[in-house]
Amino acid sequence: MVRVDGYAPLREYAAVGDGRTVALIARDGSVDWLCLPNVDSPSVFARLLDAENGGSFQLGPTAPYQAERAYQQGSNVLETTFTTADGRVRVTDAMTLTDTARIAPMRELVRKVEALAGTLTLQWRFEPRLDYARSDARIDRRADRWFAAAGADAIALGVFGAPEGTVRGGAVEGELYLSQGESALLSLAGASREPAVLPGRDDSERRLERTMRFWPAWASRSQYDGPWGDAVTRSALALKLLTYAPSGAIVAAPTTSLPEWIGGGRNWDYRYTWLRDASWTLDAMLRLGFHDEAEAFFWWLMHASRLTQPRLQILYRIDGSVHTDEQELDHFEGYRGSAPVRIGNGARDQVQLDLYGAVMEAIWLYAREVGRLDGDTGKEVARIADYVVEHWRDRDNGIWEVRGDRADYIQSKALCWVALDRACMLAERGLIPNGEPLWRTTADEVRAFVDDEGWDRELRSYVRAPGIRELDASLLTLAILGFHDPRSERIRGTVEAIERQLREGPYVYRYRGDDGLPGEEGAFLTCSFWLVDAYARAGRLDDAHALMEELLGLANDVGLYAEEIDPRTGEFLGNFPQGLTHLALINAAVSIADAEAEARVRAA
Amino acid sequence: MSAWGALAGGAVGTIVLTSGLRVAQEVGWTRMDIPLLLGTVFTDRRGRASVMGYVMHFANGLLFALCYYLIFRAVGHAGWLFGAVLGLVHAALAGGALMTVLLPAIHPRMGTPWSDAEETPLLESPGFLLMNYGSRTVIFTVAGHIAYGAIVGGFAAHLG
Repeated sequence: MVRVDGYAPLREYAAVGDGRTVALIARDGSVDWLCLPNVDSPSVFARLLDAENGGSFQLGPTAPYQAERAYQQGSNVLETTFTTADGRVRVTDAMTLTDTARIAPMRELVRKVEALAGTLTLQWRFEPRLDYARSDARIDRRADRWFAAAGADAIALGVFGAPEGTVRGGAVEGELYLSQGESALLSLAGASREPAVLPGRDDSERRLERTMRFWPAWASRSQYDGPWGDAVTRSALALKLLTYAPSGAIVAAPTTSLPEWIGGGRNWDYRYTWLRDASWTLDAMLRLGFHDEAEAFFWWLMHASRLTQPRLQILYRIDGSVHTDEQELDHFEGYRGSAPVRIGNGARDQVQLDLYGAVMEAIWLYAREVGRLDGDTGKEVARIADYVVEHWRDRDNGIWEVRGDRADYIQSKALCWVALDRACMLAERGLIPNGEPLWRTTADEVRAFVDDEGWDRELRSYVRAPGIRELDASLLTLAILGFHDPRSERIRGTVEAIERQLREGPYVYRYRGDDGLPGEEGAFLTCSFWLVDAYARAGRLDDAHALMEELLGLANDVGLYAEEIDPRTGEFLGNFPQGLTHLALINAAVSIADAEAEARVRAA
Repeated sequence: MSAWGALAGGAVGTIVLTSGLRVAQEVGWTRMDIPLLLGTVFTDRRGRASVMGYVMHFANGLLFALCYYLIFRAVGHAGWLFGAVLGLVHAALAGGALMTVLLPAIHPRMGTPWSDAEETPLLESPGFLLMNYGSRTVIFTVAGHIAYGAIVGGFAAHLG
């Protein structure tokens, strides 16, 4: 792996997490991103956003090496094997789960090093930079641990089975000398607004073992038995990493400001819950059989949105609060110079009507699954449907959060139809108060608007908006969400037009036109998986298979995807790992499996 | 000074407190829902939880009224102003410890900052001063408890 100006390529990262925060670890063994105590807290390590001053926790051989890595089977525990001329060593990285038997650190990153063959020397370097490197925290040695503290937050590093290391220029450095059969362990404990818990080696080892047992047990609860099972399981595990366990919220990605184009300014903070993305995540979880996670998110959704209901806010903080004010961290240069680095997200104030369709689809799927909705919840859902009746004609910023003028985005209107259609279905089953006649009439009006104003005869496709006669890959969701029969002429025409104009090999661009922002962006991987999904639903199974295979080849070596990809270089772009990409993968695979099963039934 | 008066004040005060918070909830100022939070200790059915939670909250209101009465007796004075001061202390206890530390610790369906990937709690925890349920929650909680305390104090002093 070659770093450019100190930055590792994004596809060289793997993620470990505990349901509260996520650490990104490069192939060379450096933890380059970690926020504590939660995924949306300030960073402790942010080398990803500033190679010189961001802070990191490095661990790797001193001699030239080759590195191979993989997650343990069905797990979010990462194993990296370094091979040098003198031997082989395995580093096991995990964010451990809380121990119920004994008091445990609030958060803990464990790095266990085991010599598998020969004798090796490894070097570690612990360079914490608390509070996005805005704190000038000193490193102290106390209670046999290295401490750094800022405000109410503290981290403590314990080194076991190796020399304790020495402080050098704002970092602690040390070496590990290990021969075959020997091991060492580095335990980083985090505390916030409470005294730090200082685990012994046995405690950390026990928690690591427990964590290693948990993940495969969780993954085995998947009921999916279709094609590409490993990729689907990896995606489910990635989504589980993005789930904030204390509330059930699901973040779009655990990082901020990884650029959509190197050197560009399209750098956003994704450590929030977008109702749209998360609702589709709920679909994916339900389709795989992870009912507990789906239910937890559903409760979070209904509870978090209460302050604004029936209007839904685009994004929420993971604790359910609505303050997501955007600011720039000028002291970070940004990934490979891609400034600005932003924390917070100003898209909060946008109008995005499509999210009502996504949310109502999620509510419908959830209610269908559990067979009930509580009375109060039913009334809240009905009020949301009424809101759509009143507001579907409003102009909005659309699914892509365009920061220019609002427009009548056709995908948004079609998703309003989805919202009302699902409300009718809920009412038909007696799950929500009956507003069906008005909802159905309005749904018909919305559909007529989309069909009349959003259809372009020359392109033989739906277009972005009546005034923007361009294609938009988000229109693929019309096939996925059943706006029309996926085999209908209009949906087939739209899919074919998107293939012609937005697809390049396996890559699909969101759109080609102006979006009010300067600079370029890569191909949006979610759109590629949506295309697979649309193929499958239209019965184009060969095309779906072929594209799916190509897309699976684009994952990094541990099966993770970023938001976008540079078609010229294959380089990952945007925040990582990206929930929307992984859930689109799951839904595409399940759609192919469903379509194949249906085809088999028809053939029989 | 009368224990029955304090109990009557507890009943009226709890109704005022609960209704006030409910109004704040309906107009979108807070997501705080005390009956739901209490009731879901026993069931994940929202409707049932709300009913059970209302009963529990009412019982708690009476119990706290008796505590107030004991304090009035110990001090030898009761009145709406003193009750309001106790209400303020009560709000600090509820917002600083009871709801934010003790409830998440015993609630089987509520997340805590220590919940990890092994758990899938259904309810988010209130957070310090109940701020997770909206930044204005603390205002209504404090105002509601001051009103409750004033009513208990006034009733204890003047009834019976």
